[in-house]
Amino acid sequence: MARRPLVFAALLLALAAAVIASLALGAVKVPAAEVIDILLGNGRGGSDQQIIESLRLPRTVEAMIVGAALGIAGAILQGALANPLASPDVIGVTGGAGFGAILIIILFPGSIALLPVGALFFGLLAATLVFAFAWSGRNRGSTGKVILAGIAMLSLFTAGTTGLLAAYPERAPSAIFFIAGGLTSSGWQELQTIWPYFAVGFVLAACLIRPLDRLALGDDVAASLGSRPQLIRLAAGIAAALLAAASAAIAGLLGFLGLVVPHVVRMAGGTSSHTFVVPASGVGGAALLAAGDTLARTLRAPIEMPVGPFMVLLGVPLFLWLLRKAV
Amino acid sequence: MAYEEGLSRDRGPLQRGHGPMGVASGPLEGPPVPAQLLEAHGVEVEIAGTPILRGADLSLKAGELTAVVGPNGAGKSTLVRAVSGLQKMAAGSVRWQGREVGEMRGRELAGLRAFVPQRMPVPAGITVREAVTIGCSARLRPLRRLTGADHEGIARAMERARVTHFAERTLTTLSGGELQRVQIAIGLAQEAPVLIADEPTSQLDLGATIGVASLLRDLVGEGLAVLLVVHDLALAAAIADTVVVVSEGRTVATGAAEQVLSAERLSAVWDADARLTAHEGRTALHVAWLRDGTIRVP
Repeated sequence: MARRPLVFAALLLALAAAVIASLALGAVKVPAAEVIDILLGNGRGGSDQQIIESLRLPRTVEAMIVGAALGIAGAILQGALANPLASPDVIGVTGGAGFGAILIIILFPGSIALLPVGALFFGLLAATLVFAFAWSGRNRGSTGKVILAGIAMLSLFTAGTTGLLAAYPERAPSAIFFIAGGLTSSGWQELQTIWPYFAVGFVLAACLIRPLDRLALGDDVAASLGSRPQLIRLAAGIAAALLAAASAAIAGLLGFLGLVVPHVVRMAGGTSSHTFVVPASGVGGAALLAAGDTLARTLRAPIEMPVGPFMVLLGVPLFLWLLRKAV
Repeated sequence: MAYEEGLSRDRGPLQRGHGPMGVASGPLEGPPVPAQLLEAHGVEVEIAGTPILRGADLSLKAGELTAVVGPNGAGKSTLVRAVSGLQKMAAGSVRWQGREVGEMRGRELAGLRAFVPQRMPVPAGITVREAVTIGCSARLRPLRRLTGADHEGIARAMERARVTHFAERTLTTLSGGELQRVQIAIGLAQEAPVLIADEPTSQLDLGATIGVASLLRDLVGEGLAVLLVVHDLALAAAIADTVVVVSEGRTVATGAAEQVLSAERLSAVWDADARLTAHEGRTALHVAWLRDGTIRVP
């Protein structure tokens, strides 16, 4: 029990450090003290303040929101499906969002502003198809059906994406950044369109914490307590689909984060209680993506690398170290 | 010793609340007849097109322990799941305190009965206290914090199920018997007047079985109605006020153990040459294990 507050405090500290680093580092380095002054509204104006407020702050906020959304989406899916391999991939969101984005990039290169909308639409469409198939016929809503329908839908949309890339090889390079996953310094515009999806997803996830704890004791105990296990799984799927599709719309395909972060916080905290794992996955995901994005755009500045591979670079060693300790 | 004679002897450590075994404990000599908590009639259940229950009846009263017995595949678990509202019925009526189960919301039903499964999944890193806290969450709105009264209810449930002394241990470190008592504590945290348990002792050793059996009897003594699915007929005879025999999807007998578990019925329902006896508070099932009548111990 005593470990959890410590782990949570450490995650918050890591997030604070990652946020300050993300705001301070880049082509123009701004001292951390000045960053804090600007955040507290005591900035002295000038170009530093402008860089932070109009370029780095929106990007850092995006990193935090997307990181938190993917961490939480993974945590509630792993809980709802009682499967350690669950992530936004298994409900088809990643495959659908990838297809939607590549469709815009390749077929409508002149309307690149539609990319987030395409990713969001197809991400949610894929998840809807997964739920429609999983909740029909016999044994509706069972974990196995959700996962198998998800894998089928992932294969379908991935095949569509690969088909598009093969048909238009000359346009494939512009799709790489999206597939690898990365943030851009495009101000608040994308968040202004996408934020309601994040908001609904976060609120739904918060309401699911207690039902997911009941589900962890089995469908029978959850039903004894007045919950409907299939409804909890459906609500968790919807929340995760909203969070993951909105994330893909802003930052491309970062599925790894949703898979690994919940495992890391579970192993570090020594518990699978959702009252700890869901919020801690949010903070951990936000810290990891903010740190990964800072690395991705500073390591070979002024060239910006996609954040996906950097996050893997940060997350995998930590994950493997914890895995070794746990077994 | 004859079956009837044996079961009408004096009581042992697993005392029942209502009258001695084998002696009619009618309303004149026992406590007042408690109100009916559950009335189920003609319950039918089909699973994947196969009829599992073809007409089963069941009733429960406060302060009574009812044991559902029957061969494998007879429909015992399906019956208790159906009356609990966990299994959809094809036909029949299940009324909780006069209200049809299908018309009740899950939260209302949670206040009337707690269902304890045979073996729940054991999530990592969850302590006994946390698990019992989940049991009390049926009464809570999604984002509401626990109050002092909730914490008292959790402590009371742990005390009644005798798990307080290992409340801070994680579920993964518990023995089978301890885990079963925790499952009962989770059910008690619901603070419902009926506790329904599906084969709570089937995976336990002798000592742990005695622990769970005496715990359930104590709960009945406190006024709870307990409904059990149980395979061990000697155990059922020792602790149940009413035994319900289920065979091929139907309830074929309901009553006191000595009335319904006759040698003839054991033969007809279980295809066993066996008889139950009771002597000085001990019950036993005497079985002719080998058809040729040989036995390996003198």
